[in-house]
Amino acid sequence: MRIRNLAAKAVLSPTVLVMLVCFYGCAIWTAYLSVTRSALLPSYQFAGLFQYVRLFGTPRWNVAWSNMFLFGVLDILGTLGLGVLLAVLIDRQVHFQSVFRTIFLYPLSISFIVTGLTWQWVLSPTIGFQNFVRGLGWSDFVFDWITRPDRAIYTLVFAGVWHQSGLIMAIMLAGLRGVDREIWRATRVEAIPPWRVYLNIVLPMLRPLMVTCVVLIAIAVVKSYDLVVAMTGGGPGYASDLPGKFVVDFAFERANIGQASAAAAVMLGSVLTVLAPYLYLELSRRDR
Amino acid sequence: MARHRILFLASVATLLVHQASAQDAQVMHWWTSGGESRAVSVFAKEYEKRGGKWIDGASVGPQAEHAAVLNAIAGGNPPAAFQWNIGVAVRQLAEQGLLANLDDVASAGDWKRHLPPLLVKNITVDGHVIAVPVNLHGANWMFYSTKVFSALNMAPPKTWDEFLAEADKIKAAGYLPIAMGGNAQQTGWLFYATLAGVGGKEAYRKVFVAHDGQAAGSDEVRRAFETMGKIRQYADAGGTNRKWNDTLALVETNKAAFMIAGDWAKGDFSAAGMTVGKEYGCLPAPGTQDAYVMTVDVFAFPKVTKPDQIAAQRKLAELMMDPAVQVEFNKFKGSLPARLDADVGSLDACAQVGQKVMAGGEANQLPNFALAFGPDTQGQIEDLLIHYWSTPGMSAVDATKEFSTIIANAGS
Repeated sequence: MRIRNLAAKAVLSPTVLVMLVCFYGCAIWTAYLSVTRSALLPSYQFAGLFQYVRLFGTPRWNVAWSNMFLFGVLDILGTLGLGVLLAVLIDRQVHFQSVFRTIFLYPLSISFIVTGLTWQWVLSPTIGFQNFVRGLGWSDFVFDWITRPDRAIYTLVFAGVWHQSGLIMAIMLAGLRGVDREIWRATRVEAIPPWRVYLNIVLPMLRPLMVTCVVLIAIAVVKSYDLVVAMTGGGPGYASDLPGKFVVDFAFERANIGQASAAAAVMLGSVLTVLAPYLYLELSRRDR
Repeated sequence: MARHRILFLASVATLLVHQASAQDAQVMHWWTSGGESRAVSVFAKEYEKRGGKWIDGASVGPQAEHAAVLNAIAGGNPPAAFQWNIGVAVRQLAEQGLLANLDDVASAGDWKRHLPPLLVKNITVDGHVIAVPVNLHGANWMFYSTKVFSALNMAPPKTWDEFLAEADKIKAAGYLPIAMGGNAQQTGWLFYATLAGVGGKEAYRKVFVAHDGQAAGSDEVRRAFETMGKIRQYADAGGTNRKWNDTLALVETNKAAFMIAGDWAKGDFSAAGMTVGKEYGCLPAPGTQDAYVMTVDVFAFPKVTKPDQIAAQRKLAELMMDPAVQVEFNKFKGSLPARLDADVGSLDACAQVGQKVMAGGEANQLPNFALAFGPDTQGQIEDLLIHYWSTPGMSAVDATKEFSTIIANAGS
């Protein structure tokens, strides 16, 4: 028993070490760099909140930061909604369900770079969908969201939902299949319509699974750097910029480690502020 | 006796091996495309001809190379030389004491006399020469489709006003008046061309060389922004986040009249099987006939201690500055030699035009963002330009005001 425990500990210890050094260590290091005047190379002289003052005085950052919330909320709601809907539809024993499952899961096997590039082509007004519909005869058809500063961020949501909802469908479908058949039999006896059973009984039962899904999508939102780079490049202008791209641009292209660290710290802080209460609520609910 | 001989031979052999490795030089760069890798192999061949052994350290893209270089230096195994865009980043490395001092090679070759003054200023840190500039790309070129202009029976525009007056006619004939992509690179090139072409070289120098915040808020700069705003209505809707070579393809396929780009576009044309003077033409951007916006690559040399490594670096620096080698290199790279005394007779027609402008003196030699500002300031300007370009509702006055603030905070 003791040996087995030891083996487990030995196996786990590199992971724990990597976690401590690479994640927590680097997070703390980054947070410290954000209160210095680091530029191309790190400097360790304390400089107060100078980087944060500049950060929130930068129009591009304010766009990127608010975009993260807009994109995050819409992407989580959209992906979860569509994923659950697809799972329920397939759960209703449709024909060729394995075909549908494969089709919906397919986008997930495509990298964000390819996803972004493909959607950029599809949405581009001169070569994509708009051009296609115009070619069919509707010469006044306009769909140019990707070129409009006020709409471009929604096209990112669109691509994000398309990419991720298959995964959510697969997870939720597994959950739905695990629901006790007795429950369905009981509701049939009571003549409750299926949509009510899903909404009021089955889906609430799958709540822990949904929390997992939300966390998975939230992680995709926070790290959605490649999607933006490939699809809109943060544009038009910087209208669809996200903090991830902002941080990478400042850290590597602009040789401004201080600004990049401050942006990363704000990013981490805001995600924690939003997600921590939610997770706390959900996890404590499970304990009850 | 025999044993002694073997020992002797062995020690000679190791000595020889050692000497051979003394001339080993790892050179890091990001020149991987067709023309670029042929260009860098000019240096490699010349180095081998002079008795060294060139170890090619190519990375894909500047970011990967920057990371590789910094890691190699930090890891105590620096390359003999590495390529970088000229500018503040290299200067910062020198200020940190990481770069070798090339004063002796520079004074032996009298670099100061043969390089444009702005370059001399830029490669000198605390009075020491720290890098070798190898080329002079021009960023303010107008590449036009000869087919479109002959179909229109027009000459390419000589000023931006002329262009704006003719643009509707070009559009009516079914061509895109200007090929333009909405990304930071291309709005930057257009800004060079409008600032130098409408605002004038004097205003350009005040902003880029003197970092004069007041000049950056002047009427000249405002007119440049206004011109950019007017040009915007003649660009196509598909330009958002379009890469420059995709934008250039509009000119290559005779869909657009012209594009403002750097002379690196020539590589793209020749890859498409097009030759200058036939399918496409090159002229300085409207209004910038006597201006050359310089974009420069340099090689810098990490500080090393072993005498043989230092010798290898000296040899590399000398050959990279050799006028004949620079001409050969730039034949493939598409740019001008950094040395103004090199004989460019063998370069193409665009380069001949460029060389004449450069020879016109310091007033014609304008810096690009990287030569003028640090990467941070450059980033702020690029953000402003791309935002202005893609936001038709933003006024030129507001853009000028923001620009003035950025320049005023840029420091010297």
